Amino acid sequence: MRYTRRSTLALLAGMAITPLAAVAQQDYPTRPITLVVPYGAGGTTDISARQMATMAEKILGQPIVVENQPGASGTNAMRSVASAKPDGYTLIATTSSPSFVTPALRDVGYDTLADFIPILNYSGPFHGVVVPADSPYDTLDALIEGAKSGAVTYGTAGAMGGAHLAFASVAKDTGTMLQHVPFDGASKATAAVLGGHVDAALVPAYRDLVQDGQLRLLGVLDGTSDPDFPDAPTLREAGLAAEFPSIVGIMAPEGTDPAIIAKLESAFTEVASSDGFKTFMTDLSQPVRIMSGEGLAATIEENLAAYREIAKDLGN
Amino acid sequence: MLVDAFLELLNLWVLIAALVGIVSGIIIGAIPGLGPTMAIALLIPVTFSMQPIPAIILLLGVYQGAIFGGSISAVLLNVPGTPSSAATAIDGFAMARRGEGGRALRFALYASVVGNIFSCLVLMALAEPLARFALDFGPAEMAMLMLFALLVIVLFGGGSKLDALIMVLVGACAGIVGLDPISGTPRFTFGSFAFENGFQLIPVLIGLFAMSEVLLQAFDRETLVGDVEVPPLKSSVVRFVELWRMRMTLFLSSLIGTFVGILPGIGSTVPAFMSYSLARSRSADPDAFGRGAPEGVAAPEAANNAVTGGALVPTLALGIPGDAVTAVILGAFMLHGLAPGPFLFRDHGLEVYAIFEALLLSSIPTVILGLLFFRVAIHVTRIQPRHLLPAITILAIFGAFSVNNSLFDVWVMLGAGVLGFLSRRANFPLPPLLIGLILGAPFEQSLRQALLTSGGGYGIFVGSPITIGLVALTVLSLAISLFFSLRKPRI
Repeated sequence: MRYTRRSTLALLAGMAITPLAAVAQQDYPTRPITLVVPYGAGGTTDISARQMATMAEKILGQPIVVENQPGASGTNAMRSVASAKPDGYTLIATTSSPSFVTPALRDVGYDTLADFIPILNYSGPFHGVVVPADSPYDTLDALIEGAKSGAVTYGTAGAMGGAHLAFASVAKDTGTMLQHVPFDGASKATAAVLGGHVDAALVPAYRDLVQDGQLRLLGVLDGTSDPDFPDAPTLREAGLAAEFPSIVGIMAPEGTDPAIIAKLESAFTEVASSDGFKTFMTDLSQPVRIMSGEGLAATIEENLAAYREIAKDLGN
Repeated sequence: MLVDAFLELLNLWVLIAALVGIVSGIIIGAIPGLGPTMAIALLIPVTFSMQPIPAIILLLGVYQGAIFGGSISAVLLNVPGTPSSAATAIDGFAMARRGEGGRALRFALYASVVGNIFSCLVLMALAEPLARFALDFGPAEMAMLMLFALLVIVLFGGGSKLDALIMVLVGACAGIVGLDPISGTPRFTFGSFAFENGFQLIPVLIGLFAMSEVLLQAFDRETLVGDVEVPPLKSSVVRFVELWRMRMTLFLSSLIGTFVGILPGIGSTVPAFMSYSLARSRSADPDAFGRGAPEGVAAPEAANNAVTGGALVPTLALGIPGDAVTAVILGAFMLHGLAPGPFLFRDHGLEVYAIFEALLLSSIPTVILGLLFFRVAIHVTRIQPRHLLPAITILAIFGAFSVNNSLFDVWVMLGAGVLGFLSRRANFPLPPLLIGLILGAPFEQSLRQALLTSGGGYGIFVGSPITIGLVALTVLSLAISLFFSLRKPRI
């Protein structure tokens, strides 16, 4: 390398700025932090993010303001945070759909891997394959078997969601007639399966209805079993090559200082692993699933690739 | 059980929670664009540290207050704070222009109390059996019900049926913009991300009803000259006899509100318009409707308040919320450890019945506070319209922006304002447009869902007792309408 006047100046300037930057990181945060929630107020993502914010502001010493930016399956909020100033004062509490499902299907105006730094994952509702209690299908195998002789309908929270794509790939692999019926939100899909209008539904928040004996849980779409129902297999355990891992995590825009990321990761991890947070989430019927920033990044990368494959097969 | 639950309510905090909830609800509801959903969502964090009973009572108070607050701005300004009070605005605003704004609000208040008490009693008596009935409404049943509702608006909405049909279709077409509900692909978005969300209801509503008024006043010189002075408010009372005379309207409207409320997802707008149409068609003097008929205010108010009790049935019995507001209330229940489902009544019967009784008894503070507050709100109409127009414009822009914190919604609101202005200048009715927009997209979705489940067979639309009943009602309405139009002497 040649030492030109320009590179020397750049080096000197860099040396001059470094201590300042270090001071800025040590002081962080010096003003309120905005935590964007890509859904409306009052949903489970919103309520859990608000609890996370309330508990973390005690550790960080600055208020965390939750801002709801609902719409377009969460992609609006993701796009706005992706272009926010990467100073650690704008974060997003996001879920599977805008992180790796919708971006795999169409251009959403951001790249989850390139535009965000995952900080941690703290929850993620299990998605169950449920059928009415009087359904002829007792197991996932029976359901798939039934779909070989005639169409079996299944409801999900919406078109091209993670649950739909997971079952679309199951239908393709097994050559069965699994007919998707998208609903406007998981609660409507749940109502439809309770009323027997669809044969099955792939929905979260099934615990109480299954325990009440109104629905039967055949399996879960996640990579691991639901601790409340250890007997319900994952799709892979049932011999089906599909998975829809559900994430709820916090991310920062790309370019945020690593020292700030480390500080946030330690604060949020402390909250997520506390007993108070666990109790809160249990009351909300949501699991606490802690994963590091790197782990979350790997999950997103893996699923983004998997969903791109499925989307290609569906002809999108 | 009922006595124990009542004793739970004899607590200072419960009273404070109810009062704070109702007052803040009335204030927020009176601001255009800020509806019960947002009011409740904003106040959920306030209730985090409270006991379950006062917390839920505060939120339900906000809801009731906001519905009444919505009717204040609907009646006095023709700016419905909630979609459901759009029906109230039709006759309420006509009464207000005659100087009877006070009377209109009293009718609205008393009718809403009747609707609330009625639906509460139904909720307490029939919670579980009715929940089972709601589950029988699958996609095919929903599609037929919405088709019936659209038909009712066209046939019995008043005015020219062709005009109404055109407006319903314009609304339904506007509902096509956004993501296809079945395949998830963008439709008519012109490559813009903002369009993927479709046209949001609240910005459209504010535009159609508030912005168009501003434009109408600004462009219509004749009205501007004529309307500079708001007619003075006559001191008014609503006698019990007047309410007793419309007892059947109140009863039927409460009935419609309660039972439509039980069906998931329809919300309070459809029953408000349905009962308005019913009251109009039952009336001895249907022409008075739209020109300030008290029954035209009472019917939708009774119905949209009755929806609360009805919508709480599936929410509490099954954990399936009936509309956006009850979805937020459901979140509050879960947050406070009251997990909905059949076991809710077994495990938390005391809390649930205390909440039911509070909902019933909250009619008393709602009436008192309502009467106190609209005395204050009436002063709004004493301001000259030309002074009010900038304020309405600012409130409309703020309200449209605040729904999603999105500037796109502000443009939608302004666009809807221009459309509403042009339609009103051309004498096209706005309510069918709104209903078309509200029901168009869910109707399309239900229709296509039903066809997906039936494998493409149309038999599913007459495949259950409910669909057969709805088809029969639809055919009957068409026949009645045809019969009357044939009997009417041609001019």
